[in-house]
Amino acid sequence: MSSRVVRTAIGIAAITVLAAQPLAAQETPGERLPVHELTLENGMRFLVLEREGAPTVSFVVEFAVGGVHERLGTTGIAHLLEHLLFKGTTSIGTRDPEAERQLFARMDAAHDTLLRARADGDDERAAMLASRIKALEDTARVYVEPNELDRILTEAGARGLNATTSSEATTYFVELPANRAELWFLLESDRMRDPVFREFYAERRVVTEERRMRVETSPAGMLHEAHLAAAFTVHPYGVPVVGYMSDLETLARRDVASYYRRFYGPNNAVIAVVGDIDSDEIEAWAHEYFGPLPRGEEPPPVLVREPPQLGERRVTLEWDAEPRLRIGWHVPSSLRADAPAVAILASILTGGRTSRLHRRLVVEDRLATGVFASTGPGNRFPQLFQIDAIPRSPHGTEELEAAIYDEIERLAATGPSESELERVRNQVAAGNVRRISSNLGLAFQLADSETLEGDWRATFRVAEELQAVTADDVRRIVAEYLVRTNRTVAVLGRREEP
Amino acid sequence: MSARGRRTSQRRVRSRRAGRWVLTPCVTAGFALLVGPLVLAAQTPGTREAMQALRFEPIVFEPPVPERHEISSVRVLLLEDRALPLVTIYARFRGGYGLFDREWYAPALGLPALLRYGGTTELSPDSVDTAIDYYAIQTSFGTGGGSVSASVNTLTEHLPTAMELWGGLLTRPGFDREQIELWRDRELESVRRRLDDPGSLAFAEFNRLMYGDHPVGWAMSAEDLDPELLTPERFREMHRRIFCRDNLILGVTGDVSWGDVRPLLERLIDSIAPCYETLPQSPVPEIRREPGVFLVERDLEQAVIVMAHPASVRLADDPRYYAATIGNSILGGGGFSSRLLARVRTEEGYAYSASSLWTMPRRHDGVVGAVTRTRPENAIPAIELILTTMEELTAAPPTEAELRTAVDGVVNGFVFNFEEPGQIVSRMMLYVAEDMPEDWLERYLDGIQRVSPADVRRAFADHLRPDAMTILVVGDPDRVGRAALESLGPVTVLELD
Repeated sequence: MSSRVVRTAIGIAAITVLAAQPLAAQETPGERLPVHELTLENGMRFLVLEREGAPTVSFVVEFAVGGVHERLGTTGIAHLLEHLLFKGTTSIGTRDPEAERQLFARMDAAHDTLLRARADGDDERAAMLASRIKALEDTARVYVEPNELDRILTEAGARGLNATTSSEATTYFVELPANRAELWFLLESDRMRDPVFREFYAERRVVTEERRMRVETSPAGMLHEAHLAAAFTVHPYGVPVVGYMSDLETLARRDVASYYRRFYGPNNAVIAVVGDIDSDEIEAWAHEYFGPLPRGEEPPPVLVREPPQLGERRVTLEWDAEPRLRIGWHVPSSLRADAPAVAILASILTGGRTSRLHRRLVVEDRLATGVFASTGPGNRFPQLFQIDAIPRSPHGTEELEAAIYDEIERLAATGPSESELERVRNQVAAGNVRRISSNLGLAFQLADSETLEGDWRATFRVAEELQAVTADDVRRIVAEYLVRTNRTVAVLGRREEP
Repeated sequence: MSARGRRTSQRRVRSRRAGRWVLTPCVTAGFALLVGPLVLAAQTPGTREAMQALRFEPIVFEPPVPERHEISSVRVLLLEDRALPLVTIYARFRGGYGLFDREWYAPALGLPALLRYGGTTELSPDSVDTAIDYYAIQTSFGTGGGSVSASVNTLTEHLPTAMELWGGLLTRPGFDREQIELWRDRELESVRRRLDDPGSLAFAEFNRLMYGDHPVGWAMSAEDLDPELLTPERFREMHRRIFCRDNLILGVTGDVSWGDVRPLLERLIDSIAPCYETLPQSPVPEIRREPGVFLVERDLEQAVIVMAHPASVRLADDPRYYAATIGNSILGGGGFSSRLLARVRTEEGYAYSASSLWTMPRRHDGVVGAVTRTRPENAIPAIELILTTMEELTAAPPTEAELRTAVDGVVNGFVFNFEEPGQIVSRMMLYVAEDMPEDWLERYLDGIQRVSPADVRRAFADHLRPDAMTILVVGDPDRVGRAALESLGPVTVLELD
């Protein structure tokens, strides 16, 4: 009996002490990192961080380009380009670039004719042309060293060679044994200098299969796409990064090439290098390998603005799957003053088992098996505060929706308690330490922060802004943004048998 | 910032085999990695030539070695790492659903979740959640078929509080009835939703086909979740049988010394009773040997394809194991450098992913096969391409270049086995738990470098039978083509309840 009292007392005493001492009054560990900054004459930015540990190095290259730079008709182009940048250059991946180039011209001409045949409804001719393109691509394969970039890096001991495309950034990454750092400079500068978009049509088919996997056979993927399309009527956040199927079936090699020229100049790239390296050596290689690249075009700014939403929007998806719910409210960009309060709001609602919506929906009312709040689909432009929830049978999405609104109204009326805020602040403080533990993770944060805000420290400074959020701030943003007329609700329900 | 791990004596060890520098294992001391210039087909000038001119300094690195300790016969591995003010404690208990009868399947699978969510004998589930969220402690609880693992990660300043909480969850679980019901609700909902994800549906059905009524073939069902099988008493019994001292191995990484962590671990171990029984080994499965074609009819935009047959190669310090491992990498385990992805994805554009699988358990046979997903109209051509690719490897050895890619990737990337202290300690805990040699990683590195193209061909000739595959297709038969499917063999339609 006495031991129980003691144990409980430990918890309470410690909580009191913690509450008395703000956890992150000074600079966060992230801001104190000794990052070397370097900008080449062509505008390419490097962030270099030496860290002791295993002799490995992480490379992250981020271009400020993504889905927001696309237009209807050519959706998915940023992502297709990302795939094609693994196909090699005029020297890597080929045995005879000139012979390849001549075949490209023939297959691209056949493709133009194929699109016209399809527009004319001439299926027979379209099929014949598709076969011709396939045959030309098979012929071209004689000149291809397939997946050579991957093979060189694999043999060098690389890990995690990959890339990712989002609404507003395209990021390439790999980890190497530290002694192979120069190999990366050689290959990456070669790739930026003269990539060749070989195996174009086969890769376009690969991307259609990626879309089938991530979207068309996934209830969550389908609902996400339908929801964003309804919430954004004008802004490209409403368009899927993977692209619409009919666009993927018509994108041309020259579309990709011109997109590359517009957006992949060194002045639009940030490179983070983190690991057991010598920063002087890295800077010397940066000059040697990337210095000669000419400055590229200035990418045009994205000035599209989503008009204010004037009433609730609802979209229903009938699908052969169990129900799901997605709600989104328009909120400002992550770069605006209200962003920290929005982030705190997400944590109060669904961050951990003691959060409001988890308690109410999962534990008390047992309406849901899970509920998750986030912001998206990007950061740079006005975005959505979104809640995803999965109802638990026999409860449906209507009950779930009503309970979510009820909790939001309660929060708007009374605001969060001091202990709720304290919990979130402590999580932020611990996150400040945990987030700098892995080299690759750190390289991502540096590159992302520099790309988004022009300052690698900005991502770590957010912690201070989060700590400063008050109960009134949270109450105000709930009252201002989480209102009926500003929301878009997407519901996936089982298809009724006819 | 201080070093992660320690880099003390800088010993260089060199050896040369088959024309390239290799890493020589040196178990208790350090090792050096020396690799010469890459040899590449050099028809095109420019980047390839520049690459050949590159010279890489040897890596000199002493991998951190965990300290070994013992408290009341429980083995403890410790790897100090002062880089950040964080500490992680790991516990691994022998015992998982694979060691018990089917009636214990749900309690054994639910045990990790209920340890975390079910409160303790002193604290309500709510109090536990409040404290964990408040101190921003991270815990993880999980199980494989043969073990239960748990860990706690905390800022160093909260280590005593975190250990008190986590230790309570491990040793004095509450198994709160309401939390059991909540867990059961969630599991029932997952059962209800099992058709929603064609990928996981295909794997579950395939395992059932191949392994039948063996733990590997089990998938959670509504019958497993009968409330009478999920009483607090049954969870307590499962806990008592697994969470006893003789089943336990502990690990520690981070910002703490043995002297500081020892009293906390002693207190934990004191509260864990010795085991009253030795748990059995998991049963030896009878894996389906007859070839066959199976269909799960789903009206979807993509067909999921899984195929395999049994294979007798076991995980062991044995040339056959190394040859099969490298062979699998060349066939389809090695990503873009492997044949399946090169053919199915790069050349034909049939699929986003295509890979081989070759499981090699230590104590019984595994399976060898392949997985992909493609639009239904391409399902049969993709299956045929996979089978042809397999046949080629049973008939002729891989090229020297393919072998080099697979082996060099492991050798040159060996340092990635030592990136994170947690990874080093978890691996050593596994070796201790499974009675594997503690220098297993070095043996592996040595073994794969001895593999020749002829060894790989022999591994495939002895163990891969493209004509003996059990093939499962989850997809729309009208678009896949019923007749084409029949051409692979008699088709059995699987009815899902």
